[in-house]
Amino acid sequence: MRNLCHLSAEGVVSGLKNRDFSAEEYISQILERIEKFDKKINAYTVVNSSGALEKARSIDKKIRNGAEEGGIKCIGPLAGVAVGIKDNICTNDLKTTCASKMLTDYISPYDATAVKKLKDSDAIIVGKLNLDEFAMGSTTEFSRYGPSRNPWNVNCVPGGSSGGSAASVAALECTVSLGSDTGGSIRCPASFCSVVGLKPTYGRVSRFGLVSYANSLEQIGPIGKTVSDVMMVMNSIAGTDDNDQTTIIDNVRSSYVLQRPKRNIRVGLVKELVEGADVEVSKCIYSALDLFSSSDCKCEETSIKSVEYALASYYTIAMAEASSNLARYDNIRYGFELSPDSYEWNKYVEKARGSFGEEVKRRIIAGSYILSSGYYGKYYLKAQKIRTVLKQELSSLYKKYDVLIAPTMPILPFKFGEKINDPLKIYMIDIDTVIANLTGIPAISVPAGYSSSGLPIGLQIMADELQEQTLFNVASLFESIAKAQRTPDL
Amino acid sequence: MSMISKDEIRHLGWLSRLELTDEELTKYEFQIREIIGYLDKLDTISLEEVETVRLRREVSGLRQDCVEPFEGDALESAKNRKDGFIKGPRII
Repeated sequence: MRNLCHLSAEGVVSGLKNRDFSAEEYISQILERIEKFDKKINAYTVVNSSGALEKARSIDKKIRNGAEEGGIKCIGPLAGVAVGIKDNICTNDLKTTCASKMLTDYISPYDATAVKKLKDSDAIIVGKLNLDEFAMGSTTEFSRYGPSRNPWNVNCVPGGSSGGSAASVAALECTVSLGSDTGGSIRCPASFCSVVGLKPTYGRVSRFGLVSYANSLEQIGPIGKTVSDVMMVMNSIAGTDDNDQTTIIDNVRSSYVLQRPKRNIRVGLVKELVEGADVEVSKCIYSALDLFSSSDCKCEETSIKSVEYALASYYTIAMAEASSNLARYDNIRYGFELSPDSYEWNKYVEKARGSFGEEVKRRIIAGSYILSSGYYGKYYLKAQKIRTVLKQELSSLYKKYDVLIAPTMPILPFKFGEKINDPLKIYMIDIDTVIANLTGIPAISVPAGYSSSGLPIGLQIMADELQEQTLFNVASLFESIAKAQRTPDL
Repeated sequence: MSMISKDEIRHLGWLSRLELTDEELTKYEFQIREIIGYLDKLDTISLEEVETVRLRREVSGLRQDCVEPFEGDALESAKNRKDGFIKGPRII
């Protein structure tokens, strides 16, 4: 029997329309694969077997009925596609735990807008995906469900925080997934697992139903095996939302379509970000630049001078916002079993909140320090001003270049436990990704190559605000010339 | 580098309503000092002339303030419920 798990989202939709196979056959194969390999990968926190099969059957019925009526127009643009959802994005029929004890058994009474739109597009939600607790981390080692493993080498981290979202796509345990990206949380695992991951422009995708960690930085975005799949998901989830006041108004909503770049693309390689990278990574990124040059792109090295302040700015804002956002967890409206009898209010809340994991507590404490009276001007205000400086610098760069490129991650996927006791060391690996979050621009990670030990290396492409279309065109061009998309042996 | 004492960490823990063990206090004292020390990098650039960023030009406005009945039980995830109420710890 044909292995349907290898298909792209495009392949699934066209296969169903041509009636090459049924949604039930395809979803059954995905579920079998999860059953077989997820013990090893640990990408899922919940698998929605019965719900997914039921939905598959209803799609098959729609297709049958449609065909009898002479045309299959009644099915959505993502009909049948198996999607995994990061477990910090709300679903009204599956638990949303943020991989935290503080949200044990939590089921939100509503769907996140992005999830609702996927469902409306007839995508099939196969389960929820593992992450660092409340999306704080770059390895998934801070999940209460244990870390996800990298399908390319199960002794290595898959990246994070959307580690499950990238590992599941790489391991063919779903076809596409949703992640969230606050400082690189989609792009980092996409790079480490050799898949494509997009952080959209801030405000392009509704954050309604995304459990808040650092609101001014984070975005929901897609992960897939190909640029085209990521684009298909964006076509379904992007857009204005009454429930998220920060979404950008798009009066002329049109779909993204892959186009061969019309003129010679101007590519700027961010020198500071390559210089700071591992030798094998920087070599790979320079080869990427050569590939662009040989495809008639105009390539140059360029510089973002304020990049040296980006991480300090990012962590100041992320921790301050985390400490405010996570103040809502008092274990009263949702949480784990802990009887309030015999406790005074503050003591109860303090006791319950002691159950946050190590990294979450660290960020709440650091955030509380940053926001302490007298320190606002010293940290938070300055961090916000750095955003302005970076933004101005990027605006002038985008007058000269269509896209900026850099490594997604400065290092290769590393072994579990290697950095877990040194938080600052983990924070440092976000240096290449935080720029897009601080400035709100879109950025995509595309597989670029492999190290001598066979570990994936990702190329990051960044475009100006709302220039996702440019990003897709350039990323797709690169995908076709680099040919680095592969499937790991499990 | 900023000097942050164990007492300060304890106080921040209280402000954030986080119960911390002695072991955690010792660990966080060192780690938070190191993290804040890194953030002090923000002192090395002159920013007086710079304004804080405005990320968006135009965002979706506020929706109409009208009542929409909510289907479902918004509080079904509460663990301690009694007679249709949610039970919490005593306040005074």
